[in-house]
Amino acid sequence: MTERTDLERAEIREIFQKYKAATTEEEQLAAREQLVAQFLGLVEFLARRFRNRGEPLEDLVQVGTIGLLKAIDRFDLEREVEFSTYATPTIVGELKRHFRDKGWAVRVPRRLQELHLELTKVVSSLGQELGRSPTPAELAKQTGLTEEQVLEGLEIAQAYNFASLDAPIDTEDGATTSFADQLGSEDESLENLEYRASLAPEMEKLPERERRILYLRFYKGLTQSEIAERLEISQMHVSRLLNRTLIQLREALETES
Amino acid sequence: MDKVSISIPASPEYLQVVRLIAAGLASRLGFTIDEIEDLKIAVDELCAYLTGTQGRDGDLNITFGVEGSGLSITGTATLAPGQKVRTELTEFSQMILSTVVDEARLDQANGVPGFTLSKMKSE
Repeated sequence: MTERTDLERAEIREIFQKYKAATTEEEQLAAREQLVAQFLGLVEFLARRFRNRGEPLEDLVQVGTIGLLKAIDRFDLEREVEFSTYATPTIVGELKRHFRDKGWAVRVPRRLQELHLELTKVVSSLGQELGRSPTPAELAKQTGLTEEQVLEGLEIAQAYNFASLDAPIDTEDGATTSFADQLGSEDESLENLEYRASLAPEMEKLPERERRILYLRFYKGLTQSEIAERLEISQMHVSRLLNRTLIQLREALETES
Repeated sequence: MDKVSISIPASPEYLQVVRLIAAGLASRLGFTIDEIEDLKIAVDELCAYLTGTQGRDGDLNITFGVEGSGLSITGTATLAPGQKVRTELTEFSQMILSTVVDEARLDQANGVPGFTLSKMKSE
């Protein structure tokens, strides 16, 4: 491992310039290694905040380093902000996500998993039957659950990470497709939308699918059910992705201001 | 108009309770799942101004007004001194909120940061 040193701000900028301007992979990796060495202390500092949650510190530092690498990759020298300020939320985000993913996958009670799966199915089938989004009362009637259980089931979808949600989607003819395959070209006038101006840096960081859901919901005005149908995922999955994305954007905007 | 009130610590992890109450009341009024999800997005968006993403020192008081035609929600934050709260919606928030609810704004009555939102039932 490279020895850690404390460099001046200007020197750090210089390494970043080298990193961004690198024409060969070796050059880029070398610059990146310097940057990682420089900010590993920050990662360790942040990882330590999570250490009483039953994970070895070394693992947390690893996870945090992934966040650091992402931040290095996305950092824009044009910004008048210190890299450490910029990187902190990304590193913390990575650490939080680690616990979120891991913790939830383990702790989802079976009852809630089943509740979730059943609701996912019925929201979609009842929606098609009615030609509109169903009400909780209608869902309760159809499933034999109470209205409270239905509402709990919808809310819980936000809190837990169900692997099944992110599995490949089965299309009607039984073939498996990925989201990338389904991203048509129809809406891809995304390029020149005003939101690109106001939110550009944060938007760029979003995965294609999340960006598209935002666009369809808030620019095209499609409902969550309509988006679900178009992307061939469940409404509850749309809801979960949308909420997660909004939280991310909120965090990003807050750090900026 | 019937009223339901709740006070929570000004921290994002308690917003789930607020969302559940909003969903429960909206459900009583016959809102659809899509409408309820929209309502929850608005609740999150506006409450986030008061709690910040990391939480703040103080309490949030949320009041739900229930009428046959729809739901109104007001929130105020009683925060320890010295905590800065944004008083204007970002452009992005405005866009989100105008899509998901009928009315949404931040206010500062007597220097107390707060918000109001309302969502009518669709026909």
